[in-house]
Amino acid sequence: MRDDAKNVADKTVPHREDEALKFYFTPTDPPGDTSDNPHAKASTQVADVIDALREEFGEPAIGEMRVYAGEHEVVVDRFRTIEVCRYLKEEQGFDYLSALGGVDRFVEGDRFEVVYNLLSLDDAKRIRLRVRVDEDDLTVPSISSVFRSATWHEREVYDMLGIRFDGHPDLRRMFMPEDFEYYPQRKEFPLLGVPGSLPLPPQTPEGDLTMDPFAAAHGSKPRESFDEPKSDFEQSL
Amino acid sequence: MDANQGFFTTRVDAVMNWARSNSLMPMPMGLACCAIEMMAFAGPKYDSARYGSEAMRFSPRQADLMLVAGWCSYKMAHAVRRVWDQMPDPKWCIAIGACASTGGMHRCYGVVQGIDNFLPVDVYVPGCPPRPEAISHALLDIQEKIRNDYTLANDYSIGEDAPPVPANRPKVLTGSGQQSISPEALYQQDDA
Repeated sequence: MRDDAKNVADKTVPHREDEALKFYFTPTDPPGDTSDNPHAKASTQVADVIDALREEFGEPAIGEMRVYAGEHEVVVDRFRTIEVCRYLKEEQGFDYLSALGGVDRFVEGDRFEVVYNLLSLDDAKRIRLRVRVDEDDLTVPSISSVFRSATWHEREVYDMLGIRFDGHPDLRRMFMPEDFEYYPQRKEFPLLGVPGSLPLPPQTPEGDLTMDPFAAAHGSKPRESFDEPKSDFEQSL
Repeated sequence: MDANQGFFTTRVDAVMNWARSNSLMPMPMGLACCAIEMMAFAGPKYDSARYGSEAMRFSPRQADLMLVAGWCSYKMAHAVRRVWDQMPDPKWCIAIGACASTGGMHRCYGVVQGIDNFLPVDVYVPGCPPRPEAISHALLDIQEKIRNDYTLANDYSIGEDAPPVPANRPKVLTGSGQQSISPEALYQQDDA
């Protein structure tokens, strides 16, 4: 009886794939050349893209391809960064800037480095660009005209390492206070900071800023508010 | 009134402090992950409403207990101190978690190494993060401090010395009013 009803239903209702029940699994990232990194993925091995880059921009602009931990990366001349990024975005499909960071290599020449991690969402490929910059002229062109998301990353690199980005629409410090004078991710910066560079709030509402970062360890005890000296306003009453 | 009806004597201070300690209005200063535990402490399972302090006041002018939960950067310290200055007296402060108490694992240039560098902290809660029970215990400690420390009559703001801390809380007297009830007696089964 029930089978009959089912057969009738099969005949009368046309077969239709239910869209809501379809699952789109992310394809697994197959392992790549795992000679020195067992976690290296094939998606990070993009020698063909780097070859295309070299054909487009030539040898001085695009450096030698490097393999780091089984992943391909390339050093790019800093004055061609915008063109290279635009080419990768428009011609090679690397449409997503997944990260942009700075490195203090702490070497004599070309001390700093800006690292761009680009991702192609369609082809599931990743490429890493490195741009080296010397301490004497700490300026790198901003790629915020190509990737809008670069603005905050570049602000962060500027805040932490002091690398200025030419053409950035709003290059301000990201984390540290505006009037902070140092770049804390540089290697020579002491881990616990420069005493007096970051004042703590005053111990009473109208007091002076606390310049000692370890006031409590040096015996200072914030006063209970009922113990505070009278403010100017209270005295005027 | 018949003395055998059962009564106890007290001071206005004790009543005020009792009321104050059982209606603490916390100012949640959630700065990092400890704030999640602070929310659990205020939520139904750990239920700070049992102690009368479920009403988190997001305006400092209506709060008298600041819960600083999480690591505090030098930049944030100024905002925290500003909020603290806006809270009316009397007010208390709990440093929740290792980071708020000492800087914790953030021994670096950007994080204040303990909020007691700029705030008068009453209770420190260790843990990374502390369990909500630990925050409840800190609240009980604050209540204990309010009942014993602060008095309305001897307001410290008029320059008087703080009175000595009473040895015990107000005693519960027996029906006859003659002797105090021993703690064991409270748990004894009444045969009659």
